[in-house]
Amino acid sequence: MGRNGTIIFWIQRVNRSVCYAGMLLLVPLMLLTSADVIGRAALARPIPGIVELSSYMLDVFILLGLAYTQQVKGHVRVSMLTSRLPQRAQQSLEIVVTLLSLFIMVLLAWQGWVVGMEETAVSDMLRIPQRPFKLLVGVAAILLCLELVVDLVSAVTAGIRSA
Amino acid sequence: MDPVLSGVCGTFLVFILLSLGMPIAFSMMLAGFLGISFLTSVDAALPVLARTVYETSSHYPYTVIPLFVVMGGFAGSSGMTRQLYAAFDKWLRVLPGGLGIATIVACAGFAGVSGSSVATAAAMGTVAIPEMNRFHYSPKLSAGTVAAGGTLGFLIPPSIGFVVYGMLTEQSIGKLLIAGIVPGLLLALAYIIVIVSWVKINPEVAPSSPDPVSWRDKFAALLPVWEPLMIFLIVMGGIYFGFFTPTEAGGIGATMLFLVALSKRKLNWPVFKTSLLESVSISVMVLFLVAGANVFSTFLALSMIPIKVSTWVVSLEVSRYMILAIIILIYLFLGCFLDAISMMVLTMPVIFPVIINLGFEPVWFGVIAVLMMEAGLLTPPMGLNVFTVAGVAKDVPLESIYRGILPFLISIFVVVLFIILFPKSATFLPNMMLR
Repeated sequence: MGRNGTIIFWIQRVNRSVCYAGMLLLVPLMLLTSADVIGRAALARPIPGIVELSSYMLDVFILLGLAYTQQVKGHVRVSMLTSRLPQRAQQSLEIVVTLLSLFIMVLLAWQGWVVGMEETAVSDMLRIPQRPFKLLVGVAAILLCLELVVDLVSAVTAGIRSA
Repeated sequence: MDPVLSGVCGTFLVFILLSLGMPIAFSMMLAGFLGISFLTSVDAALPVLARTVYETSSHYPYTVIPLFVVMGGFAGSSGMTRQLYAAFDKWLRVLPGGLGIATIVACAGFAGVSGSSVATAAAMGTVAIPEMNRFHYSPKLSAGTVAAGGTLGFLIPPSIGFVVYGMLTEQSIGKLLIAGIVPGLLLALAYIIVIVSWVKINPEVAPSSPDPVSWRDKFAALLPVWEPLMIFLIVMGGIYFGFFTPTEAGGIGATMLFLVALSKRKLNWPVFKTSLLESVSISVMVLFLVAGANVFSTFLALSMIPIKVSTWVVSLEVSRYMILAIIILIYLFLGCFLDAISMMVLTMPVIFPVIINLGFEPVWFGVIAVLMMEAGLLTPPMGLNVFTVAGVAKDVPLESIYRGILPFLISIFVVVLFIILFPKSATFLPNMMLR
């Protein structure tokens, strides 16, 4: 494993760990929702701010899983047409498509930062600031960009090897 | 350039990008971003991306998606698939093609606690296909049955399909989920009729049946069926009577299944991790498709295509059922190469206003749309459920699976026709809801 290999290994490992950290939020999300319904029905005491808390938890859950979903190729794509092309054309297309994805995700990372820094609002009941959760859009997009760079490197390497 | 023309170009761009193999969500974001930049300015288009992604991923009603998906994961890991199949097998094995019928009924039962269709097909395939092989069922029948049965997960609530339709069209998700119950049962019945008539016409496809079991065993096997049935009744009953929202229902359903799996000591770390990972990757995939669609719809709305198309369609001097038939054909065509959620996300911004302007009922059309998405899960060359079943039944060639699916596919269209002729079959339950 050369230097590239080591970097790729760490990028994928970090994105996997980030995803694991985020996905555990599903447990408090489901338990708090149930507790809220039971508390409301049995004791007339709902959990204050449950909707805000759940929204923020969903935000973290989804955004931290973004790069990992790319790693396992979980974002749906149509392979029916490209899979019939000769290998060479497939490899070139893969590079083009990854570059286009990278372009839009770099914009998202940049704008996630800009839009996040402008944010000063807090949530209605618990007064939790929105800013960190908005900035997370930028962080998630950066991690996704790293994952796309990994894809780009492997597409280029495959192209060189078969040339 | 005229806004409408640029809208058309943008739509073409999406289809070009996605046929090049770019992830569909990213294609829509890119085309939407370029389109908004073109119709307004780059400065106006830039923040739209980040805002839409934030608003989609922190929108409270969408919490229902990971919860519905994880319900299926917990249900599968607590062994419900096996129990359901074992129970219905004991009751139905004496009928012609009994093991196939048991598969369909068990799929319907599992669909009642699971939100995702592919998960249903995979879970049931590993249980039912070896069993049908043991009794020399034709692979065409057994693989077709499992692939078709898996689609029930998309129609019988909890169902991700209705959640996404509700999100895109701003309809009540609760009403949509309730509306799926009767058509889901109708479709299961249609599948059973397919199996019975297939075996009657050609008895060789299901040559032997296992010996009948005693009544004592039959009732003993029914006992574990109570768990998923109770959970289904609590989750759907709660939505129906307005005790809680679909999101809260997802939370309660997931918690109950989590506790069931825990109490059976079936929930070790690897199983738990797999369930959560499945939930996270499906939710990210779905929500990014929705975010991409929202960016793209912003552009389409600027181009005025949805309004122009729907006024144009309404001005046509043809029956509205003619237009409905064309829409169904479009879905059939798109279903050949797109997956269900992408198809919904790509078409709804234009098709939904048309449906409303033609005076069709939105909840009723939701059922039709979801049924067509199910058909898309089965149509060659890109039937997602077919690939899943092919992964389980490795020795069966893809062609025979597709041939085995054909009668089931036709029965989906019979059910679509039935719901068009008798719209009340889909709408009477949601119309009786308290809110």
